[in-house]
Amino acid sequence: MQTEPALVVSDLHVRFELRRWGFGRAGAIRAVDGVSFTLRQGEATAVVGESGCGKSTLVRTILGLHRPAGGQVVFEGIHVDRLKSKEMQRYRSRVGYVQQDPYGALPPFMSVNRILEEPLIINKVGGKSERTRRIREALEEVKLTPVEDFLTKFPHMLSGGQQQRLVIARAMALRPRLLVADEPVSMLDASVRVEILELLQGLQRLHGLTLLYITHDLSTARHFVERVLVMYAGKIVEQSEVDELVTSPLHPYTKALIAAIPDPDPANADSFRDVPPGEPPNLLNPPSGCRFHPRCPAFIEGLCEVKEPPVFEPEPGRLVACWLYQSEQTAP
Amino acid sequence: MNRDPLLRVKDLRLYFRTTQGVVQAVDGVSFAMGHHQALAVLGESGCGKSSLTRAILRLLPRNVHTYTGQVLLDGADVMTLGEERFRQEVRWSRMSLVAQAAMNSLNPVLKVGEQVIEPLTTHRNVSREEARDRAGQVLQKVGVPLAFLDRYAFELSGGMRQRVVIAMALVTSPDLVILDEPTSALDVLTQANIMNLLKGIKDELGSSFLLITHDIAASSELADQVAVMYAGQLVELSEAADFYKEPRHPYSRKLIASVPRLHGDRKPEFIPGQPPSLINPSGGCRFAPRCPQRFDRCREDPPLVEVEPGQWVKCWLYPPLSDNGSDAN
Repeated sequence: MQTEPALVVSDLHVRFELRRWGFGRAGAIRAVDGVSFTLRQGEATAVVGESGCGKSTLVRTILGLHRPAGGQVVFEGIHVDRLKSKEMQRYRSRVGYVQQDPYGALPPFMSVNRILEEPLIINKVGGKSERTRRIREALEEVKLTPVEDFLTKFPHMLSGGQQQRLVIARAMALRPRLLVADEPVSMLDASVRVEILELLQGLQRLHGLTLLYITHDLSTARHFVERVLVMYAGKIVEQSEVDELVTSPLHPYTKALIAAIPDPDPANADSFRDVPPGEPPNLLNPPSGCRFHPRCPAFIEGLCEVKEPPVFEPEPGRLVACWLYQSEQTAP
Repeated sequence: MNRDPLLRVKDLRLYFRTTQGVVQAVDGVSFAMGHHQALAVLGESGCGKSSLTRAILRLLPRNVHTYTGQVLLDGADVMTLGEERFRQEVRWSRMSLVAQAAMNSLNPVLKVGEQVIEPLTTHRNVSREEARDRAGQVLQKVGVPLAFLDRYAFELSGGMRQRVVIAMALVTSPDLVILDEPTSALDVLTQANIMNLLKGIKDELGSSFLLITHDIAASSELADQVAVMYAGQLVELSEAADFYKEPRHPYSRKLIASVPRLHGDRKPEFIPGQPPSLINPSGGCRFAPRCPQRFDRCREDPPLVEVEPGQWVKCWLYPPLSDNGSDAN
């Protein structure tokens, strides 16, 4: 199915300069290092990776919170990396952001009504009555009903799940085209997690939203998105439809991730899991060549540590940055 | 061998005083676990599972309202010991704890070696040299290089810090190690590493673990037995082999069904409603308002009864195995 791309990220680099004694350079952390991908309109995509892999930096750059050191972020034809502050505000009104920690993301001294009215006021949406109508609508969408019971409440009076619903309602208040959710359920209990993810999926399908779901948890991604991007040490190592990714992963890192994730099964206790040795590299001074090579079980000497692998497309629609697939067809 | 179970808890209650009323965090919990076993205690946040560890280790805050019941270690009731004797003879000597997020509470200005030695110098009458040797051994056992003895916490990765914290709990060779969410703040691969480590320790050293977690999938890596807590009470206690395949209590079933699985197409389901407040909970089964299988009798509080050998369930749906009306254990 070919649809318009909603978001095109090409060769994106984001660096954080380190300074010694206030000035003088001490190198740079390359948090996002040459990332390219396309989100199709109305599709749900997950970015999966471990902490420190650059997934949150990627999101914050897409939201215009970090300036990239190189590369482009293009949303429906707008170059996000070049926007002036007025245009940036307009752009941000079209992108919803669901934060990781709902309690931290909600101002404790504002009522639910006020929290939802704020984005409407800032973006000069309607008069008072129009805003009231929109607030009710937003609360009904996230099923914080009856609405009257919630309007006057403050964030601390809500449960964790309700707080996250409110964060989603706020993100949806301006009817965005793209919704970015950064670990939206990692602070919640298992049963509430599923409830919130179903809500996000419902909104995404109802409004034809493009959804970017950032997570470290491949098992939730499995059930709530269509495509997955796997990040390791600032790079995307594999992109694929979720079912294919889980059943036949290509990149050795993806394989390792999948092998490490347990499903509830008493047989788990009888064996040890295969875990690659070592830890993700320091992004101040990442390994040469492929960044996974020091931990990789399929390491090809003389190649992997020397040259960075380009992106190959061994199967249609599946992209992988690994030398193991060099004999297969290269991506256009 | 000793015929008493390693740990037997009988009708344990821990209530807290708050401005809103008395919170019944642990409300009549009874279970037993054997030597060289791992018991996983599962439940959602606020179900009282962390309070249970506090009650067992007697790490109590000031606002305790009620603290009653029995905690028997190898058949001897440690609840009756005075505070000082409990500190000297039980806590960390015979039962130790890997607290929740403990890896973030290592002392930043002490070398990690010092912190691993500390339980030994406090609880065992050993010289610093002996203690250092022993700490070195334990650190190696948990996969921390010896050189790290002289490092500070900030120089270690999250996984390494978690290993150090586990070493602190193992260094006195306690009979029972209580692990409160040992992997919840860790990445997938680190989590698998730590679980491998715990399995190895259990096999090699014959340690016993009480694993408190909300991560059901991860708990299956270690558990021999599973206990499920809901609203301060134990609702099911089963052998792991039975539990993950066929949980009995309606709440356990819902809980297992809420776990997103990586393999297989079954979509996870959420549990509608919210757990009840633990301040003046209503009589009767506490899960009844959310239970799809509730019936009239659920207005009365069901007892925890053995429904199959080794399977205890607190639910009216299951007739007790024998009619002698025995309560838990």
